[in-house]
Amino acid sequence: MSDVMNIEDYIAQGGVLTNPANTPPRYRGELLRLMATFIDSELAGSAGFADTINDAPGLKERIAAARIVLEKTDHPERVLNLMGTFGADTARYAVHHPWAARVDRNADIGATRQGTDMRLSVFHYPLQGWIDAVVMNVLMGRAVGIQLEEFSRVSYAPLAEVFREIAPREARHTELGLEGLIRIISTAEGRDRAKQSIAFWQPRVAASFGQERSARFELLKRFGLRHRANEALFAAWTADVDALLSTLNLQ
Amino acid sequence: MARFYSLEVADVRRETRDAVVLTLNPRDGDDAHFDFTQGQYLTFRRAFDGIELRRSYSICTGKDEGVLRVGIKRVEGGAFSTWANEDLKLGDVLDAMPPMGSFHTPIEPNAEKHYLGFAAGSGITPLLSIIKTVLAREPKSRFTLVYANRQVSSIMFREELEDLKDLYLNRFSLIHILGSETQEIDLFTGRIDAEKCAALFRTWIELTAVDTAFICGPEPMMLAIAASLREHGLSDKQIKFELFASAQPGRAKARAVSAAAAASGADCEATVTLDGATRTFRMPKQGESLLDASLANNMDAPYACKAGVCSTCRAKVLEGETEMVTNHALEDYEVRQGYVLTCQCYPMTDRIVVSFDR
Repeated sequence: MSDVMNIEDYIAQGGVLTNPANTPPRYRGELLRLMATFIDSELAGSAGFADTINDAPGLKERIAAARIVLEKTDHPERVLNLMGTFGADTARYAVHHPWAARVDRNADIGATRQGTDMRLSVFHYPLQGWIDAVVMNVLMGRAVGIQLEEFSRVSYAPLAEVFREIAPREARHTELGLEGLIRIISTAEGRDRAKQSIAFWQPRVAASFGQERSARFELLKRFGLRHRANEALFAAWTADVDALLSTLNLQ
Repeated sequence: MARFYSLEVADVRRETRDAVVLTLNPRDGDDAHFDFTQGQYLTFRRAFDGIELRRSYSICTGKDEGVLRVGIKRVEGGAFSTWANEDLKLGDVLDAMPPMGSFHTPIEPNAEKHYLGFAAGSGITPLLSIIKTVLAREPKSRFTLVYANRQVSSIMFREELEDLKDLYLNRFSLIHILGSETQEIDLFTGRIDAEKCAALFRTWIELTAVDTAFICGPEPMMLAIAASLREHGLSDKQIKFELFASAQPGRAKARAVSAAAAASGADCEATVTLDGATRTFRMPKQGESLLDASLANNMDAPYACKAGVCSTCRAKVLEGETEMVTNHALEDYEVRQGYVLTCQCYPMTDRIVVSFDR
């Protein structure tokens, strides 16, 4: 065993990188792209959810919605600060997109990114009122849980740590959503409307898992930035959501 | 973007034959910028023959010492470390960014934790800062350090570590592993590899009692120890890393600006390399950025903001001249080396050669 080792071999063998100076150029590019996707998605998510605060049917729900908006702004800030250590202008980045902008509810954008906005496509669709927002939060929250578990293993240690810190708080957002959903479906009307929203959001959240056998996945895997394939994450989410909806009798 | 501040060298102490410890004083009013967390590092910059180099060195003092110190070990062929070891003197001024890094865990005064540290060579620097801080601020916590060196004479902070052992009799234990000197116990001779780890965990270190492990050293050691810790039941969350990469990025030459860059046509022949694959295509000099042209030619180039802000799309121009419309992310020294933000980059010459891999 020698003391000298090629940094790319080190990463391929599961090595962990710890500061921007360690990162080879292509790794750096993919790492920043991953950070941008998270930042844009969370900022767009919290901007979209902000209007929902005023739709909340009670104080408890209003507090829950406000907390979600607050924390989904704090989480991307932590990742943006890391992006700043690579040279990014964080102040400009934070305002370079209109995060609250949405496409038409009936637009069909599939899984494609819109322009230079790196948010997952699901965050381009507008929420329609309280019930719709709660349903979206639960379905997407379960997906975020699976994705954060995956991202908590990325080979860039400072980013993995941020994801590990925020994962329990994101999980709490989903729990708050679930508590809200259970209250909503206690009436027949609420149950009907929740089902309509599930029909709208379920395929759109599904699309956020990306394509099967994506070519970029192999590169990301070699870099230790991904471990499980999109299909595996999607299958985990599908099983989880099917079980949940079945328990709630919402299928 | 992080700024650089001036630090005055208040002391240069020779620690071993090829390592120095610098005491650094921020200028009046800059103190707050250097309020570090144990285990963090400073990034310095200095020009050598007109080419700027940046190097990171870990802070080796504890939070309660009231001073800022870094340890710099001379690396064979390393311009910055050689200069720091041979030419740097009292009163010199260094440019440094505020402390960075996440090689630490939160201090909890009432915690009763057992920390385990592994350091090789100059990898001791951040660990020394962590050990001093944790033992002082968590009076019920313990720390075990496994410290690997070639020989006794190359051990950095040997006396300081002995003093810590005396000061914290029952809370700090230290195991020296020496590569080329025989010790009374065979286990403490050689390298820290999987086998050595397994033996240490069997006889000297009770891993089930360990809350957090810190590892700082070169690549092979990080891999071996992390694998062994995981194999013995520690989770990723319990293992903190600080990589002291064996190969520092080299001294990139400033790109020669060709005087004969006179351009004639409206088009440019662009040769772009990404993930080892090179593609040549024609693109207009105006109206389409180098990034967009690459994407249009089916290259999966990385990008995010397309506004010159995030630097995801950074690449290096190897031949030809280009211009950037906006740049909020690259610093002057990177631009001088030929780096561009491809989303803001337009060719000026009839031919350019660009790589995302360098």
